[in-house]
Amino acid sequence: MLKKYKPFLRAGAIDTMAYRFNILMWALITVFEVACLVFLWLAVYRSSAGGMDAEIHGFTYREMISYVVLTTVFGFITFNNDTLWNINNDIRKGTVGNYLIKPISYRGKFAATSLGSLLTMTVMFGVPFYTAALVTLRALGFLPDLNFPGFFAHLVLFLISGLCASLLNDVIAYIFGVLCFYTTAAWGLNSLKTTVISFLSGTLLPLAFFPAGLRELVSWMPFAGMSQNPVLILMMKYDLAESLRCVALSTAWIVVLELFAKLLFSHAVRKVTVQGG
Amino acid sequence: MIEVKELTKVFRKPIRGEGLSGMVKTLFSRKYEEVRAVDGISFTVPDGEIVGYIGANGAGKSTTIKMMCGILTPTSGSVLVDGLEPYRKRRQVAQNIGVVFGQKTQLWWDIPLIESFKVLKEIYQISDADYKERMAFLGEVLDITRFLSQPVRTLSLGERMRADLAASMLHNPRILFLDEPTIGLDVLVKEKIRQAIHALNRTYGTTVVLTTHDMTDIEDLCSRIILLEKGSILYDGPLTSLKNRFGNLKTLTLTVPAEIRAETAPVLSEEIALAEEDGRLVLRFDADKIALEQVIQYAFRDLRAMDMKIADISIGDVVKTILEQQEAEHAEKV
Repeated sequence: MLKKYKPFLRAGAIDTMAYRFNILMWALITVFEVACLVFLWLAVYRSSAGGMDAEIHGFTYREMISYVVLTTVFGFITFNNDTLWNINNDIRKGTVGNYLIKPISYRGKFAATSLGSLLTMTVMFGVPFYTAALVTLRALGFLPDLNFPGFFAHLVLFLISGLCASLLNDVIAYIFGVLCFYTTAAWGLNSLKTTVISFLSGTLLPLAFFPAGLRELVSWMPFAGMSQNPVLILMMKYDLAESLRCVALSTAWIVVLELFAKLLFSHAVRKVTVQGG
Repeated sequence: MIEVKELTKVFRKPIRGEGLSGMVKTLFSRKYEEVRAVDGISFTVPDGEIVGYIGANGAGKSTTIKMMCGILTPTSGSVLVDGLEPYRKRRQVAQNIGVVFGQKTQLWWDIPLIESFKVLKEIYQISDADYKERMAFLGEVLDITRFLSQPVRTLSLGERMRADLAASMLHNPRILFLDEPTIGLDVLVKEKIRQAIHALNRTYGTTVVLTTHDMTDIEDLCSRIILLEKGSILYDGPLTSLKNRFGNLKTLTLTVPAEIRAETAPVLSEEIALAEEDGRLVLRFDADKIALEQVIQYAFRDLRAMDMKIADISIGDVVKTILEQQEAEHAEKV
């Protein structure tokens, strides 16, 4: 059954490959963003009560800078996703009908495309970028000793949680995309999605900085698994038990959100009026 | 086999106010207008039949097709395609049907045609042997081999339509839905497409449901037609009996001397309607009521015809007449 989706996996991988120069440009812009964030945090620590030795919400400045660099690389590799825009396009141009008359699931098509894209991103950009980031951070003494085999277990769990993060991001994009069946406000929906994810996933600020109540609530939501948790697993800030709990939580959320997406789509498709005759 | 029972589709369209004040009002109170695109139609299409589904623009043809292939869900009534409801068992039904919407392509725009076919091969899980056989068949009947390596966006409309048709037939569907497959095509390409549909129907016994505005398509392909108007079926039956619905109608087109005019010409019988069209005199009559021989004599003797063309009434004329009658009845009611 899954073999049907192979062409979409391939198409996702090839498309991403075709846009490699755009992606490289984007990477360059991201480097400047990271530089800004690093200087910002350095300033914050320097002016804090404890000075450069301070530990703010459990993060030393070394850890904070590693965190900022790694979440940026992580977001860059994992969130390269066009699902919402492609669904919106299908709706506006009426091409959604082309998929409805084929013996494939609409959701499956997007999941396969996104996985294909993730594959290219990971192999082409992930491997060199993560290696460069880890080696540099280690050389500067910002990361603890990445001793094998201890680090190896974390690396494996990081890869699994990265896959989970990508799937979560894709199913959320899909849900927002399907909402375009009801309202054609794709641009607004996309902004809402991006803002919610970057705030609640800990990309802007680790969740440790949130007030206690909000932190507790957010820690049970799917968002932390999309950025903060994978990075903290990689940085070995989480022990193995905590890492496994994170992966389990993300997996549970994937199941829940996929079920919700299925229900939402079958409702949306009932009221679909294919554009153009 | 397709079974359609009491099928109805009602679209709810929001009524939007005009201008800025209208837009603001729409924000707070929405009124809806109900449009009955398809209104309680029933019919059955047995295996291996080619059915022409005709009607004016907006009669509900495409809406019915979309319900039959699972894109739209009916408001009420049911469709069964080989015993399954397409909007409930969408993927299962999709495996056994092929669909072409003449207005838009289903092929991937930027990749070579052959790659599109390879994607379809995987989506429909077609075996290598079947794929080879089908490509050979389609390459021959649709003549697509020449441009297989070109990206779809570089194809001409005729080539693209043949490609789309081939794509819909690749998995050997038991039922083929063709929504205006000859729209905008030249006579030769139309002919090719008709031959392909015939060949497919003969070779594989494929059931075909076809909508078109081209009456030649209908006369060439369909043994049965369903005529739709404003969401209801006006006629469902064999082509020949629709033609004979108004009797054995014939048209005589005459080239006559300039002084013979429709208004002043000698009259043989009330049964013959005279009209002038493009400088020629056109006689319409029912050959069951007045003998053809008699009319021809009258044409040569009284109307001094120099040239003559006899034609059966075309299916297009019949449909036009029925639709005009409907329109007139409708106007009377209002």
